[in-house]
Amino acid sequence: MNALTVEGLTKTYPSFTLDNVSFSLERGRIMGLIGKNGAGKSTTLKSILNLVSPDKGKIELLGMPFPRREEDCKQKTGVVLGGIDFFQHKRLETITAVTRRFYRAWDQGAYERYLKEFDLDPRKRVKELSAGMRVKYLIALALSHGAELFLFDEPTSGLDPVSRDELLELFRALVEGGTRSILYSTHITSDLEKCADDITYIKDGRVLASAEKSRFLQSFQHLRTPEDAAPLTLEDIMVRTERRTFHV
Amino acid sequence: MSELLYKELRLAAHPSLYIFMCMGALLLIPAYPYGVVFFFGCLGLFQSFMFDRETRDVFYTALLPRPKRDVVKGKLLLAVFSQLVQLALSLPFAFLRTLYLPQGNPVGMEPNAAWYGFGLMVYGIFNLVFFTQFYKTAYKAGTSFLIALIPTTLGIIAIEASVHFPGMGWLDGMDGASLARQIPILLAGAAVYAAANALAYRIGARRFERVDL
Repeated sequence: MNALTVEGLTKTYPSFTLDNVSFSLERGRIMGLIGKNGAGKSTTLKSILNLVSPDKGKIELLGMPFPRREEDCKQKTGVVLGGIDFFQHKRLETITAVTRRFYRAWDQGAYERYLKEFDLDPRKRVKELSAGMRVKYLIALALSHGAELFLFDEPTSGLDPVSRDELLELFRALVEGGTRSILYSTHITSDLEKCADDITYIKDGRVLASAEKSRFLQSFQHLRTPEDAAPLTLEDIMVRTERRTFHV
Repeated sequence: MSELLYKELRLAAHPSLYIFMCMGALLLIPAYPYGVVFFFGCLGLFQSFMFDRETRDVFYTALLPRPKRDVVKGKLLLAVFSQLVQLALSLPFAFLRTLYLPQGNPVGMEPNAAWYGFGLMVYGIFNLVFFTQFYKTAYKAGTSFLIALIPTTLGIIAIEASVHFPGMGWLDGMDGASLARQIPILLAGAAVYAAANALAYRIGARRFERVDL
């Protein structure tokens, strides 16, 4: 069973269209959603979560139709929206005390273990945490309610290399058992070289390619030039696909 | 207590909302337009909506395992809770007036059964206009408040002015006979308040479901 299936997702804005986006994520895998700024990565993730209401398209989360079974889907989903930090002045323990009441499968013992594992102090306020620690806190919450699908929108943007590497390590550990899956949007392609199993590339609101990582890389090797000694990386592929020339 | 209301009170409500909920104490001012108490109730709610925009509350709530429309339900529960608690907390002060300020209020209506009934109507109208306006965008709190303030202010002025018209003295009465005549206004106020909130939720939720966050 797929962790996530997106079919024909379409959303039209006055100056941008997310056009017929389709892809699927298998259980136990990490999929990187790449594309330059404004390509439609966040709109795709927000549409999957019903934060943006799509014009059309079919979405299934963990085999359940969304938004028809919105509550059940969200019970099993953990979300990190990069750059959106809520309740900066609240203590983690206050946010947790509220959040846990909404989840049927909340496991307080597990939550306390994850706080220790991630070195999170529940007495701290959100604003006192580093960007990496905030992501870890949201992951601790999601793990404590038994999330099986994680949707991350640029979770490593703005992090230093050490924190980024630590998070990537954590992402790999999350999917190890084969039941949890991650869809992870980013434009930091080197992160995906390290941790993604599959890549979906969105360009100007359309899916340009969606495949297992090595097949994905292979399918873009026609962009190589005689000067290239090594196979193209994700970054090379993005840069060569998106490159514009200016006549000024 | 519902999870949504609990969340609103612990995470979302601005501290000033709790202060405005205690504004019923103004009923002990000897001569004062007591309808202002309703204005403060609306102001507290507006402050809270502004605060929510700063704390990104809408994203937190929309990601909870609830339908998207429950964002509107949570806020409406907070509005109803704060308004009803404010009115309930004002009751002891209304009673104390009868003991220590028996000469009445020369400015406007006495805080009697009619006053509470009209107050519920004013709150109902405010909620209906404010929620349906705000959830067109889920961020224009200032504009929505100003638009909702127009009928709210007119309602408050009408309440205060009504007792000065000939033959309307019973609306200002605190005696048993006057209070008995005012009971239908209180009941009508409760009915209008319930209907306006139901409509505010229905329209607000429908509009919010189309909003792109």
